Parts: sequence; structure tokens; C-alpha cells
Amino acid sequence: MTGRANSIIIVGGGASGVVMAAHLLKSPNPDLRVTLIEKRPHFGQGIAYSTLLSAHVLNVSAAGMSAYADDPGNFWRWLLERGLAAPDQAPVYAPRSLYARYLKELLDELETRERETGRLRLIREESLSITPTTSGVEVALANGTSVVAHLAVLATGHDEEPAQGHAIRMGSEADTALPSDSRVMVLGTGLSMVDAFLSLEQRGHRGDIIAVSRRGLLPSPHRKGNPIKLDVADIPLGTQLSYFVGWFRDLIKENQKAGIDWRDVVDGLRPFNQKIWQNWPASAKRRFVEHTKAWWDIHRHRMAPEVYARVTEAVQSGRIRLVAGRVVDIARDGDLTVEVQSRHTQRLETFEVARIYDCAGIVRDISTSSNSVVRSLVDRGLARPDPLRIGLDVSANCEILASDGTVSAKILAVGPLTRGTFFEIDAIPDIRVQCARLSKRLLG
Amino acid sequence: MLTKKGKYGLKALVHLAQLPAGQLAFVNDIATGNNIPKKFLDAILGELRNAGFVQSRKGKEGGYRLARPADEIKVGHVVRVLDGPLAPIPCASRTQYQRCEDCNEATCQVRHLMLEVRQAIAEVLDQRSLAEMRDIAIDDLPVAKGIDDLPVKVQA
Repeated sequence: MTGRANSIIIVGGGASGVVMAAHLLKSPNPDLRVTLIEKRPHFGQGIAYSTLLSAHVLNVSAAGMSAYADDPGNFWRWLLERGLAAPDQAPVYAPRSLYARYLKELLDELETRERETGRLRLIREESLSITPTTSGVEVALANGTSVVAHLAVLATGHDEEPAQGHAIRMGSEADTALPSDSRVMVLGTGLSMVDAFLSLEQRGHRGDIIAVSRRGLLPSPHRKGNPIKLDVADIPLGTQLSYFVGWFRDLIKENQKAGIDWRDVVDGLRPFNQKIWQNWPASAKRRFVEHTKAWWDIHRHRMAPEVYARVTEAVQSGRIRLVAGRVVDIARDGDLTVEVQSRHTQRLETFEVARIYDCAGIVRDISTSSNSVVRSLVDRGLARPDPLRIGLDVSANCEILASDGTVSAKILAVGPLTRGTFFEIDAIPDIRVQCARLSKRLLG
Repeated sequence: MLTKKGKYGLKALVHLAQLPAGQLAFVNDIATGNNIPKKFLDAILGELRNAGFVQSRKGKEGGYRLARPADEIKVGHVVRVLDGPLAPIPCASRTQYQRCEDCNEATCQVRHLMLEVRQAIAEVLDQRSLAEMRDIAIDDLPVAKGIDDLPVKVQA
């Protein structure tokens, strides 16, 4: 297959699609044809980078956000060149809208460069399905036409599932104006809840915010540091979860005794996270997702210190109330009456709120995805959910697996869709490495 | 370096991998079959159980069996649990680093090469599963063959 697959369609032109296209186009191959298909009016935004709010900053500092795996300083230099950051500045957490502009300019440059070669084609249209043909793949579009290529790479990113029940998504059509003093509930206490809080602030909302999640945990703030150096030879692989967690806790304790911040230990493990995940038995993966992931996430996926200061101030003043519990009942009678059962006391508490925002960020069953391409692949047995059903089942080479386990030579996937196999594959620093490896494998 | 503990642990696991799936083995049988001191084996199996590689059942019908299929357990997984970080020499480990009293690690060429050896050890041990180790026929061992073919040298 290698060397013959010159034409590649990327389904999804959000951040991961653009990063994938950029890595493919590093190849000098004059016969390469890359087609990038995006249903939104703008490329490079997806859900993650479409917010216009300046308070919605990146959760990773600018030094880590380059689109290129072999040029980690690319985004930082882009900021410096435009006077948007200063050389000796503390870590910069740039607005996400600025990151969308970076990706747009990057794609514009590629488009200009490739205009004469014809190697890049952008299509603004929704993709409906991918069908393997004898010579490659055919992608059907919502306008009734279709495009063909040797290979298709799914880069559809995070699922835009409609919120469930009485909860709505922030920024959706149902998110109409509210009286500024009304009390609202947010399902979730993670980074999406923080985004919702910042949006409400921006709108001038001053009412109470009840944030509910199973454990009521708030993500930690970033702090400048140096990740410790680990080697794969040091890390226990393939053990039961409890054994690994014990080892990791001890490692943090030892380092803390030496005056090293826990963040540097958590970040030091990052290069090995995929390997650790892939070596775990299925039972350890399941246990991790059920019991440990919430703890891991608040330490691993942190927020900018300035944002953390705003959120904790709101928590201390009582504006935000973090509740560890489970919503057991929602009744609508003008306002919404929500019954929450406390995780610790089992007692029921009733809240009257004007609105419920869904910020739970829970990955629901991928086979009920709102993305028609993904759903149709699963429906036809061309793809299958991974064992945890948090994404599509893919090989270590990003090839999707059919319902009978057959490895597809023609349909691949990158980004959050592949989290069942790659674990942490939601952020640019991980996605760019995945895209670089896949490009190299496909084009040499 | 692989200690006796690591070696005995691997032998015990291969023993278990040879049994039909689900069948339990008595500690005594594993010990006598592989020339492992029984008390030492008890301790080793306890550690392997904590790490989730074997399961045990108490009582008359009790014993040990693999907790997972033999092709899922990699040799490197087991060695790290029994012997700690893979390292050919104590100064070539990051978490269990021990400084050599008699040399400067920044300029020590031996250590430098041993860091490379560490990578090679991890690569080999993390690729091979218990099932593969179990299925190695003695005749196929290239090293054993190599040793056999060597001309016998009389030591001075």
C-alpha cells in the first residue's frame, strides 16, 4: 500500500484535520493529493477553537501548542512574530480564538504554497458516509456529490452530541438570555464547567452556579516547572491498576520529599501514557475509566493560573457551589426542580434552577454518535466501538477495525476518535505526534 | 540484571502457562518441577498476585493460575515487578538510580553504553509474551546453539 496511496481524504477540517493535512503535505511527493472536508464555515476551529470569548484560553501553554511534531516552537514563534507574546514572559495561555487564527493562517499558507501543485483541495461540505471501493474509498457529501481517493482519514474530533434531557449546551440555540440573577446548574465540575462559568460572567450573569459531578472535583492550576525524566525501563507496564497506582503514588511522594512539585511527576509520565494504557489488561482500563480517571484528569488536565484564581474566588465567595453527587430527578414547573443525592451522605437536596447546562463531557456510546460518517461506518459493520465504547476500535497504526475485527487498509482515524487505543489523544501535543507518525507511515 | 527472583518468577509463570486455561497448580509442584525453594516461591507468587499476573485459591483444591491469557503478559511486565526498573547496572536507572562510588557518571563511558543497553533490554522484554517464552523449543534457542557450537577453550 505504501507508496501507492497518493490521494487521501481527511474527513473533518477542525484542529486535528488541519494538523494531519499539514503533516501529509510535508512530503515532497508531487503526486500527493490531500482533500480536507469540513462542514463548518471555517477550517481549523472544530468545537474546541470556535469560541470567540477572550477569557476562554488554551489549557496548555503556548510553548506546547505547535501544530508540528518536529517543530515544537512553531506556535510560540507565531505569537512572538505578531507581538502577541514577549520572549521572556511566563507561560502564556493564549485565547483559543487566537489558536484558531494560527491554524487558519497555517492552512492559508499551505493553500497558497500548493496552489500550483494542486496537492491540497479544501471542501466546505458535510460528509455523510465513507464507502470502500475496489480501488480506494468514496466519500459521499451532503450536496449529493462524492469524492474518491485511495485512503480516508477520519478526523471528526469531539462528538457534538445534543445535550440530554432538560440540560442544554452552552451557546446552543436553546441557550437564550436569562435574568442576570437567576440561579443555574451546571452538570460537570471540570474544564467545560469552567468555560461555562467564564461565559456566564462575560454575559453579566451574577446568579449562583450549582456545579454537580460524581466527585465534585475542580481541576488544578498549572505552575511553571520541569517535568521529571523517566524511562520506559522504570515504569511498571501491564500490571493491575492498583499496583500501578501504588507505584505512581510512591513516585510522587519520593519526588515531593526532594522538593519536586507533583505536576512535574504527572507531566514526566506523559511521554509514556499511551504505552501504559496499551499495556494494561482490559480490566485495568475499565477500572481506570470508572474510578481513577476523575482523579487523574484534575491533576493532568489543568487550567491557566489566572483562570484558576477566578474560579476559586467564585467558589470561596459562594457564587459557585461544587456538589459531589448524582442528579436523581428533574421536574419542570416553570423553573426546574432538581433533586441531587449527595455522594457522601446519600441525602437528597433539592435545587430550584432556571437552567441546566450540560458540561459533563462524558463520552457516550460512540455507536450513537451524532456524526453521520461515524454512525454509518458502525451501522454497516465497517467500524466498531472499542471495548470501552469511548471511541472507534483502531489498530496501533490508526487503521479502523471492522465489526469482525478485520483491519481496514483504507480507512484510518486520528484524534479523540481513537482514544480507546491511544488514551490521551484530545490535545494538540499528542495529536500532532500521532499525525506525524501516520503521515510517515503512509508516505514514507 | 535479572536476579534469581526474576528468573524463578518467570519459570513459575511459564509453568502456569503450560497448563490448560483455568487449571490451578500447587505451589509444591511448581517448586519441585523448577528447582525453586518453596518459601522463596511463595513470596514471589504473592508479588505476582499483587501485580495482577496470577490468581490464587486457598484450601485443599487451591493453588495458582495465570490471571490473564499468556499472550497478554509480556516478560518485561513481570521482570519490572519482581526486579524493579530494567537496568543492566544500578547507575543506569532513573527511578532506582544508585551512584557508583568509584566513578563520575557524567563522563563514565560505561554508564553511557549501559543506557543504550537498557533500551535494548526493554525492547526485547516488552515484545515477548509468556506464551512465546513457553513455546520456545530448546533446539530453537540461538544462544544455546551458539554456545554449543563454540570450540571448547581450556581456561588458563
